[in-house]
Amino acid sequence: MENSIIQVQGVSKIFGGLTAVNNVDLEVSEGAIYSIIGPNGAGKTTLFNCISGFYIPEHGTVLFKGQPLNGRSTDTICSLGLSRTYQNIRLFSNLTAIENVMVGQHPRLQENWIDAILRDRRCKREERESVAEGYKWLEFVGLSEFANAISGSLPYGAQRRLEIARALSSKPVLLLLDEPTAGMNPQETLEMTSLIRSLRDKFNITIILIEHDMHVVMGISDQIAVLDFGNKIAEGKPAEIQKNERVIEAYLGPGGAALANKYRRKKAS
Amino acid sequence: MKTTIRQSIRTGVTFGIVHIFFILIAFNSMIAVMLAKISGIKNPGEIPEAKFYIAYTLLMGLWVGIAALNKKKSLSFGTKILSSFSTGLTVAVLAGLLDVILSVILVKKVFIRDFLSVLSFDFIKATLLGMTPVNGTLATMAFILIGALAGSCLVILNNLKAVQAFWKTLGTWTKNIIGKIQYASRGKYHLIWQLVGIVIVGFIAVFLPTKWGSYWNYVFGMVGLYVILGLGLNIIVGLSGQLVLGYIAFFAIGAYTMALLNAPEPHHLLWGFWPALVLGIILSALSGLLLGLPIMRLRGDYLAIVTLGFGEIIRILLKSDVLTSFTGGPRGIQNIQGPMLFGRPFNSEVDFVYLIIAGVILASFVYNRLQQSRTGRAWLAIREDETVARATGVDTIKYKLLALAIGAAFAGLAGAIYASRNQFTGPDEHALMASINVLSLIIVGGMGNIPGTILGAFTLKGLPEILREFANYRLLAFGALLVVMMLSRPDGLIPSSRPKYELPKETAPDVEKKEASHGK
Repeated sequence: MENSIIQVQGVSKIFGGLTAVNNVDLEVSEGAIYSIIGPNGAGKTTLFNCISGFYIPEHGTVLFKGQPLNGRSTDTICSLGLSRTYQNIRLFSNLTAIENVMVGQHPRLQENWIDAILRDRRCKREERESVAEGYKWLEFVGLSEFANAISGSLPYGAQRRLEIARALSSKPVLLLLDEPTAGMNPQETLEMTSLIRSLRDKFNITIILIEHDMHVVMGISDQIAVLDFGNKIAEGKPAEIQKNERVIEAYLGPGGAALANKYRRKKAS
Repeated sequence: MKTTIRQSIRTGVTFGIVHIFFILIAFNSMIAVMLAKISGIKNPGEIPEAKFYIAYTLLMGLWVGIAALNKKKSLSFGTKILSSFSTGLTVAVLAGLLDVILSVILVKKVFIRDFLSVLSFDFIKATLLGMTPVNGTLATMAFILIGALAGSCLVILNNLKAVQAFWKTLGTWTKNIIGKIQYASRGKYHLIWQLVGIVIVGFIAVFLPTKWGSYWNYVFGMVGLYVILGLGLNIIVGLSGQLVLGYIAFFAIGAYTMALLNAPEPHHLLWGFWPALVLGIILSALSGLLLGLPIMRLRGDYLAIVTLGFGEIIRILLKSDVLTSFTGGPRGIQNIQGPMLFGRPFNSEVDFVYLIIAGVILASFVYNRLQQSRTGRAWLAIREDETVARATGVDTIKYKLLALAIGAAFAGLAGAIYASRNQFTGPDEHALMASINVLSLIIVGGMGNIPGTILGAFTLKGLPEILREFANYRLLAFGALLVVMMLSRPDGLIPSSRPKYELPKETAPDVEKKEASHGK
């Protein structure tokens, strides 16, 4: 594909005797919202970790903007423009919200420790700009009034949004979101969905999403991949995935497809 | 009424037991010596004059009186007096009983020091306020009672509306002044105000050391050196979150660099102070880097153990026979030359206090600048969650090494000054206990901030020096103090707070532009 931003080619990750991810291929085109779904333990987060450099896959390669990522450390991957959030929130919880976002800008700044001691022109300019930038991102996720609050004491939904703001502040071209709406109420989920959509529309950031909430997934995805026991069992547009028999069986068990068809027919008539 | 008196008597019994315990550990001598020193007597000895014991007894009574009225605001005036009187009387009776026993010991010449080593006859005489046993006992009781009544009067006076209003006004007044100072330090003329502040602090720093006398200068210098050490370790432990236990090794490297380059034995190099200082700082920083390289993958407990080993290795190397010809071995290095500045040699404690103050200012300056910068935030991120910090784009290895090197450089600075000031350094000055001391001073003071470190250094290094006279009970009192401190202030005396970042107004249009260009 000409405009694909990331290509995952035959990636496998094995923990002892367990193959968590088995020979998975993915290809995400620029500006897409791509969802990965699957039952619990299907290997979605493991695949995320392989892409973002937390794990080194046993087989296969990950190409980001045409460059292989294998074996690169996570900080290099981040500075290439790939940013992520975590399934269980991992903020720098004793720092304030704005400081979290300022740490997020780290790879884009040049100021070093000698500049900091001398407080030279570059240091002053970068400090000023990074505060302004930080406020901009907090404003974007609706947290600017909490800028100087300790991030660990923020409400749950706000912490999720702050994590996204931190990931955004390194100005990524690809953002990996690991269950961004987990534990949220319907209202918060709705807000999060529109936030994710506006990320793509406003900043043209490509998004890969792990999500369990099917309303969210079907509503915003351009493309969906389904994992089950480490294998990719289906890929396609939301409407295709909804009809796919293997997917329904993965979720509902054998015979589930027939059941679902029956249900669907009943609904139609 | 009955319950009030019963409560007061119960409080009195508690305080009576406290009083007896204090006498049995000779706490009264300790306070008396302190009072004697404060009133200007140079060498009060272990047992000062009787009037200081009288003062102690009065103070004890005062404490009893204040405590007796604790949380009893709603009582009437008469009840308050009655309640403090009954408490005071209970304590006085118990104190009298003790004095009777002590008098018997004194009169019968019972030798009791095998069981209670402090109860020498001199001490008992002093405890009986230097009078005859009967008079002494009665006087003790009277003084405690007087003290208790005076204490309760103080409390009652303090609770008067007018006095409360006075404190309140004083409080708001101070708050306003502090607010004004803060405003001034940020406002239009902030440079002038900062200059005024520097001049005031400078004035104190310049004139106090010449007035103090060498003992206080010694203590003050020691505290200053530990402030520098504490700031250095704070960069490593407080900011970047790496628990390094052998920190004193870097101090040793600084001290030995100074010693080897400036002592007649064993090398007779005599480079002079300043080049040796710079080299000591550089060598310490380098050793920090070298230590850091192999241990970068370790975290938490493992890191602590490995660095502890490093500290001990350095000390044992300095002590070893193999290196005796090079490092002076267990005897250490003597006659280290002091610095020269503008052709004038440093020959007194006062000069060194100035040098140390300069060092503290330099260290605080560097620490402060680093703390509020991209570097400092990267360190904090590593402390909070190393994995995530790395995935957020922080080169964790680089920043951890940087923290170790800068922290070690601080220790090198302190070590070099220390060796030059003492004109001596030996391997046993750099034992594990010193590392633990530095670590506990930043924990007691409050992790990760400058005022906390300074206060911690005063508490941990200054206080034991002041208490040094009472060799036996120094550590007891000190330990109790630390326990109380950690119970009442678990985050340290001055806990860290995060800096506030406000949106600068003038850069707002700039941001708009950025937003438009983002993502292309």
